[in-house]
Amino acid sequence: MPLGKDLQTLSDQEIVALARGGREAAYRELIRRYERPVFSLIYRMVRDRALAEDLSQDTFVKVLNALDSYRPEYKFSSWIFKIANNVAIDQLRRRELNTLSLDGAPDARTAEDIEATALQATDRAETPLAELESRELGALIEEAVARLRPEYRSCILLRHVEGRSYEEIAETLDLPLGTVKTYIHRARLELRAYLEPYR
Amino acid sequence: MRKRLSDQDLDILVTRALARLPLERPSPAFANRVMDRVQLPPARALVLFRRARSWAAQPKRAAALATSYALMAAITLGVVVPWVSANSAGIRFAFGWGVERIAAFGREAGLSLASWAVSTGITDVVRSLPISGAGVWVAVGLVVTAYAGCAIGLHVLLRTPRDKHDEPINHAA
Repeated sequence: MPLGKDLQTLSDQEIVALARGGREAAYRELIRRYERPVFSLIYRMVRDRALAEDLSQDTFVKVLNALDSYRPEYKFSSWIFKIANNVAIDQLRRRELNTLSLDGAPDARTAEDIEATALQATDRAETPLAELESRELGALIEEAVARLRPEYRSCILLRHVEGRSYEEIAETLDLPLGTVKTYIHRARLELRAYLEPYR
Repeated sequence: MRKRLSDQDLDILVTRALARLPLERPSPAFANRVMDRVQLPPARALVLFRRARSWAAQPKRAAALATSYALMAAITLGVVVPWVSANSAGIRFAFGWGVERIAAFGREAGLSLASWAVSTGITDVVRSLPISGAGVWVAVGLVVTAYAGCAIGLHVLLRTPRDKHDEPINHAA
């Protein structure tokens, strides 16, 4: 029986097997491994921290309560990202949160939050390469990603933020490989178009 | 003099910026809140035990089990006690014979392993053991202990559930 520290050395499949046997530590290890990637994906999909936290919880509860239906021949990460993506897409369809306020993230309450999450658009006439690569680019990219169609957003986030292969993304999102490549290509074009004024 | 980015440079910049986006972190109590909503599966032995209890929970089955137990106890005692009484001499002989064999084996092993130990005194020691009617009491003690264990197990199996963990498992689920 592996101890808590040893669990970190096991594969996802081995952890799932222990969790199926009723080991609470194995459940917590799965949460520890995936809470940040899942929360990041959902947060960047819905752009609302409180909502993202609720949806992430829903994702983990669905996954952990359905471990018996998990098939070990598939990657656990693909399975959990698939559920996270579905949860986020469902939410976006219900609330149509696929746009981002220029005044900051929807969950921004205080003046500091609004300022921190607001679009940091710099003066176009003074935007050289070095400045584009600076801190503002992250905010610009976040903004640009938030404006993508949800399908493109999922693909581009899984590809470039989570570092998933095209095949894994296709498996995760239940899309043909060609469609994934097309979505990512179009997403890049849209991101480029969004950044066009700043180069 | 400001240089305009090429498409390729912009692509690289976008890809790099995406890869640098930080992983967001949920609130510290996130894991606990998830675990509060997760149903941990019970251990397999516990599942089997609950199923057995669920099966035995019906009054007719419980009565049948209790009756079977009482009958088996009566039959066993009715057979074993007279048999032990009638064969106590034979049992004593068999017990003594067994002890004798074990002593002989030990003696032979000792002789073969250590030729110098030709006179260990084991036989005398074994022969001097007080083996008489004790064999009967040992057999009766074993039977009584076994039945007491069964009675306790049956009581645990048939007792009324007291908390949520004791609730019988729904077979249809």
